[in-house]
Amino acid sequence: MVCVLAALGSLSALQGADIRGTITVERKLTPRNVTPAAGLYQRGTPVKLRPDSDQDPLDYERSHVVVYLEGLQRSVSAPPVVMEQQNRRFSPDLVTIPAGSSVSFPNFDPIFHNVFSLSKPKSFDLGNYPKGQTRMVTFDKPGVVFVYCHLHPNMTGTVVVTPNAWAVRVEPSGQFVLADVPPGKYSVVAWHKTAGTFRKTIEVTAGQNSEINFFVPLPEIPGGEAPVHAGH
Amino acid sequence: MRFSTRAFLWSFLPFTCLLAGSFWAARTAALSAVKEGLRSAERDSQVTLAKERERSDLKNIRILRVAAENPALKAGLQLLATEDLTPDAARRTVEDQLSEICDTMGFDFLAVSSPSGDPLAGVVRGKEGFAPVKFDSLRLPASGFFSMQDQIFRVTSVAIAQGQESVGTLAVGERFDVAEVAMPAVLLRGGSVIAASAPGVASSKVEAALRKCGPQAECEVQMAGETYLSVPLDSSQTENQQFTLRSLRSLDAAAAPVQAALRGVFLSAGLTALLGAFAIAAFSSKSIVKPLAKVVARLREGGKTGVLPEFPSGQQRVREIRELTDSFNHAAASIQDGRDQLVRAYVEFVSSLASALDARDPYTAGHSQRVSEYSCAIARAMAVPADELEIIRVGALLHDIGKIGISDAVLQKPGKLTAEEEALIQQHPVIGRKILECVQGFDAYLQVVELHHENWGGGGYPRGLTGEETPRSARIVKVADAYDAMTSDRPYRRGMRHEEAVRILEKCAGTQLDPSAVQAFLSLGEDPMLDSLHRLSAVVRTGAAQETPV
Repeated sequence: MVCVLAALGSLSALQGADIRGTITVERKLTPRNVTPAAGLYQRGTPVKLRPDSDQDPLDYERSHVVVYLEGLQRSVSAPPVVMEQQNRRFSPDLVTIPAGSSVSFPNFDPIFHNVFSLSKPKSFDLGNYPKGQTRMVTFDKPGVVFVYCHLHPNMTGTVVVTPNAWAVRVEPSGQFVLADVPPGKYSVVAWHKTAGTFRKTIEVTAGQNSEINFFVPLPEIPGGEAPVHAGH
Repeated sequence: MRFSTRAFLWSFLPFTCLLAGSFWAARTAALSAVKEGLRSAERDSQVTLAKERERSDLKNIRILRVAAENPALKAGLQLLATEDLTPDAARRTVEDQLSEICDTMGFDFLAVSSPSGDPLAGVVRGKEGFAPVKFDSLRLPASGFFSMQDQIFRVTSVAIAQGQESVGTLAVGERFDVAEVAMPAVLLRGGSVIAASAPGVASSKVEAALRKCGPQAECEVQMAGETYLSVPLDSSQTENQQFTLRSLRSLDAAAAPVQAALRGVFLSAGLTALLGAFAIAAFSSKSIVKPLAKVVARLREGGKTGVLPEFPSGQQRVREIRELTDSFNHAAASIQDGRDQLVRAYVEFVSSLASALDARDPYTAGHSQRVSEYSCAIARAMAVPADELEIIRVGALLHDIGKIGISDAVLQKPGKLTAEEEALIQQHPVIGRKILECVQGFDAYLQVVELHHENWGGGGYPRGLTGEETPRSARIVKVADAYDAMTSDRPYRRGMRHEEAVRILEKCAGTQLDPSAVQAFLSLGEDPMLDSLHRLSAVVRTGAAQETPV
């Protein structure tokens, strides 16, 4: 990713400017199943609960936000991004690639996996393949593609296909940088799987860094506090 | 055997037997009723539990159907069916899926089999997560038990269907612990016990006892002296393993508290009844025997004294006893009559002998009869008891019987007797005694016969007794004899007049004669009987000699 940005940056180094910003998430957005099934307790069988991730939940939420630019169509040929299958999980579970690029899905588990997607931008089924094999998928259209495994319903991954190379997964701290953005008027989009899409327009002037912040709440809750959508 | 013992035994023993028999019968009936009730209750509860298990199995199957509808698992099965290159990886994939399902749903064992029944993959819960199962020759039953690695599992199977087609079988197992069955139970594999929760019974005995039971039949078995009821709860059969789960509960143990209580009740009631029976038997035997015992005691006393007892008639309340005493009285009276007659006959015989003796000499004729009458009069005046009076009467009649042994020459000798003759005469009391000694029943008269010549002051014959050493009867007869002798005529002198004889009697009182007897005689002075006697004697004498004024 850094490589991508660096490559893009070198093309428009003269006129480009950085967009920096912070994503603020104040609540847990992703409901996680931490309660074991009731069946575990039956007949007094002692069951070890899975240890909670030591990651801060808000860090987790912030790191699962993708920020990208809209309004700049520029296809690039970038090297394929890897989404591994390990321990019955996609790792990483969220990748972002510019349209036209590929993602490879290598299987590092000793068991079969069958990666597929039924999402509109790209639907595919890679079939069953065992450890050591890999399959590659090229994503032509921008959009969000959810990836699953036929054999393991708990496995889920997300590929965010962006219209251009200015896309970044936010740091756990909430910081993001879109480097060397050519001057112009764009929409900056922040996407979170559960919270949805947030847009802000920005005009980038040459040589002048700008800053844009997002507040990512949950989608509107009926009768609850209306979420504040920055930039509207 | 005593009559009371006999009466007691004959009332107590049959009573006891009857009582013991009826108590035993009642106890047996009660116990068997209790046992039968418990048995049917036990059977009902076991059958109900067996049905409950079936119902819960059905409920479990519904849940398992949901598990079998897992698309991922179906995809895994499809992979397993089609993957030829890396079958191990495919099996691992399915095992991994099964582990996940087990983990989520809390199963201990989960396996999939092909539609033909060959096991494809399975996992079992261990201490460290789930481990794959190595099926070598192991075949899973559609439903029921199987053992693996020394553990017993109970499985339930559901078909995994894809549309109309069955793509396999999902077998869900849970570790089976016989202690979790809601009643004492044993699990048998091919006839041998592999798990039991029935306490206190050896496995070998259970096996031997249950061998006679049909595999699906409830039965009662005897082990170590106890009756157990065994109801089949569950069974399963595969090619090489046959399992049967049977309940095994002791009916006796269930009946034991009731039995103990019943035993206590019957024991205490029986003992009380026995004591009652004993007391009643003792009392009744005593009461039966009591009147008879009185009679017997009196008879025994009579036996000792020789006096025939007489029972007062009409006093016995018991009719039989009354009849007994009455007839005894009759018999005794007859015996007494006979005895009296006999004695009377003797007395009459002997007195007629004496009369004959008297009659040899006209001077002594009627002497014995008169002495007897005088003696009776004196005795009556002295208020002598009736029996002694009778002795005196008869004794006086016989008093001179001994003179039979004295020759007439001496007896009837007129004039003075020589010393030898005197000594001869003095032998007559002893001779009389000797004569009468031989006659039974004359003992009472011997003293009068022997001692009527003893003197009050001593010097009499034959023994020379003094005072009261001589019996009163003899003393009285001596006074009467003296009087008659003095008032009778003799060949050598005329009889004295009454007053003169009385004077001599008074003179001799205290020396030869008993003063009290003499006194009694004197008191008879105006006695009409004595008068009549005098008159009579005078007439007799007149018949023999001349008239004598009285």
